[in-house]
Amino acid sequence: MSTNDVKEKEVLVSVKHVDVTFTNGRKKFRAVTDANFEIYRGETFALVGESGSGKTTIARAIIRLNDISAGEIKFQGKKINGKLSKEDKQWVVRNIQMIFQDPAASLNERATIDYCVSEGLYNFNLFENEEDRVRKVDWALEQVGLLPEHKSRYPHEFSGGQRQRVGIARALIMEPSFIIADEPISALDVSIRAQVLNLMNKFKKENDLTYMFIAHDLSVVRYFADRIAVIHLGRIVEIAPSVELFRYPLHPYTNSLLQAVPMPDPEIEKAKTFNAYDASQEVMDETSRLREVRPGHLVFMADSEVEKYKQKLEDMEKLHHAE
Amino acid sequence: MTEMDKELFTFQRADDSESEHIAAPIYSYWRSVFRKFFSSKIAIVMMILAGIVILLSIFQPMISGYDPMKTPYINTPSMKYIRPNLTYWFGTDDKGNSLFDAVWAGTRNSLFISFMATTITTVVGVAVGMWWGFSKRVDVVMIEVYNVISNIPATLVAMILVYAIGSGIWQLIFALSITSWVGTAYFIRVQVMIIRDREYNLASRCLGTSTFKIITHNILPYLISVIMTAVSRDIPSFISYEVFLSFVGVGLSEKDPSLGRMIQQYSPYLVSTPYLFWIPVVVSAFISVSLYIVGQTLADASDPRTHMI
Repeated sequence: MSTNDVKEKEVLVSVKHVDVTFTNGRKKFRAVTDANFEIYRGETFALVGESGSGKTTIARAIIRLNDISAGEIKFQGKKINGKLSKEDKQWVVRNIQMIFQDPAASLNERATIDYCVSEGLYNFNLFENEEDRVRKVDWALEQVGLLPEHKSRYPHEFSGGQRQRVGIARALIMEPSFIIADEPISALDVSIRAQVLNLMNKFKKENDLTYMFIAHDLSVVRYFADRIAVIHLGRIVEIAPSVELFRYPLHPYTNSLLQAVPMPDPEIEKAKTFNAYDASQEVMDETSRLREVRPGHLVFMADSEVEKYKQKLEDMEKLHHAE
Repeated sequence: MTEMDKELFTFQRADDSESEHIAAPIYSYWRSVFRKFFSSKIAIVMMILAGIVILLSIFQPMISGYDPMKTPYINTPSMKYIRPNLTYWFGTDDKGNSLFDAVWAGTRNSLFISFMATTITTVVGVAVGMWWGFSKRVDVVMIEVYNVISNIPATLVAMILVYAIGSGIWQLIFALSITSWVGTAYFIRVQVMIIRDREYNLASRCLGTSTFKIITHNILPYLISVIMTAVSRDIPSFISYEVFLSFVGVGLSEKDPSLGRMIQQYSPYLVSTPYLFWIPVVVSAFISVSLYIVGQTLADASDPRTHMI
């Protein structure tokens, strides 16, 4: 997908100047600072950063689990943060769903799979009669490769991959248009990861879904995401289409993240020099903000750094063409 | 090389759904609870003991029609202080009444008071504790209520209340449970706060589940075993509470027999006719211990973490 395609696409989710602050008594902690991004309909938008960088906090703010302290979140052009009417809340729930990180913790251990999957249906009476509900649950389970006989089982009887698929079925049955996947594969066995990612890709095509995919590892999102945002300490430092980001990683933090991806070649790994990121590598002043260096490629920088990044990009392009 | 017999082989279809199949028998929560409970021999013995005591205390007074105010043998010295024998299993007391009848009538009242007070404490405590754990506004008020009430000795409150409203079974139940629910509510509040923000509850909220439904479907089932623990601790403690209050003379009136009253009444006979004192004490201890062990085993069995082994 070229960057021009993205420009013409419809904005599904827009996050503008969002701050999230947690208060504990008198102590305040700013988890997210001035987050700005847009997610277009039909794409997979990845949010990548280390633990505690605020990626889950942003996701939870979008799905209304966290309050935001400043800014605005819009879904299909409609404001969804702050106080909403009951109808609007239901509209958000029906359109935005979430897949959780830990499949062991995100299912109610005391409920059968039947209840876990149909919980959303019960809440909004999304079925005509009992037969209709059973049909819908069977359909959702079949979609994720589980059997109807699993309905009477409890979550602890399933493997991690199966549980995560129950989590996907539970989101899918609501027929949402936007799914937030909060590190859906990081708690899974490596052999199961591809299975879950393939399932998610299948549903994206079949059900016209948009994903926001959260990961702490760039190698996972490389082939899965259309655009990637890199977040560090609550601040988005770089947003770019994924091909572009891997070809021209401009921000020093993105660079160090990319270096952390292991290469399956001992020669390269041996020759690697690690460039650990620290804040001294960039200028931080009141002019610091996300700036576009190329269409669709935004980097967080100060006024004084614009020339530096321009030069860096040119050097990288030369190097790339020489190869 | 000899040729292999082709008939030895059959074609097998590869079926992905085979690997999804769960071979274990269908899990049932209550069946597992019972299996786990009945795997403990001591619990079975204690349950039989507690069952006998409860049945005796329900039916024996109906047959004997024991009334502490009726003393037909009070002027017959030969009927007094008869040591336990085949006719009077527990002997007779200072008024010539059979102690066997008196003990079960007393046990009935003691058990009734304890069960009622436990029910009130648990129902009110759990309901308030759930609300308390979920609402920040309730928390601000309730934590102060808890601080005040938990710092006043509950015995003192019960004694003053009994003095104020008079003695009687219902008055005693009221006096016992008026403050005790706060402790249960606080206990439940802490439990709710621990599991309130677990991921599966956040997932339910993302699916639009109301707080009430989260409490009834997500939180309460998790708390069954801790509620059972609280109940199995409360029943014996209310029995000993009643015994203590009656012993110090503020429990029940003359009309209502109870284990505590009996122990208090017969304590002067500890040297002369010790069985009058010891039999109610032993019965009271039996009830407390057996109900406590049955309750604890049931609480353990109702925790599904014990089902998997």
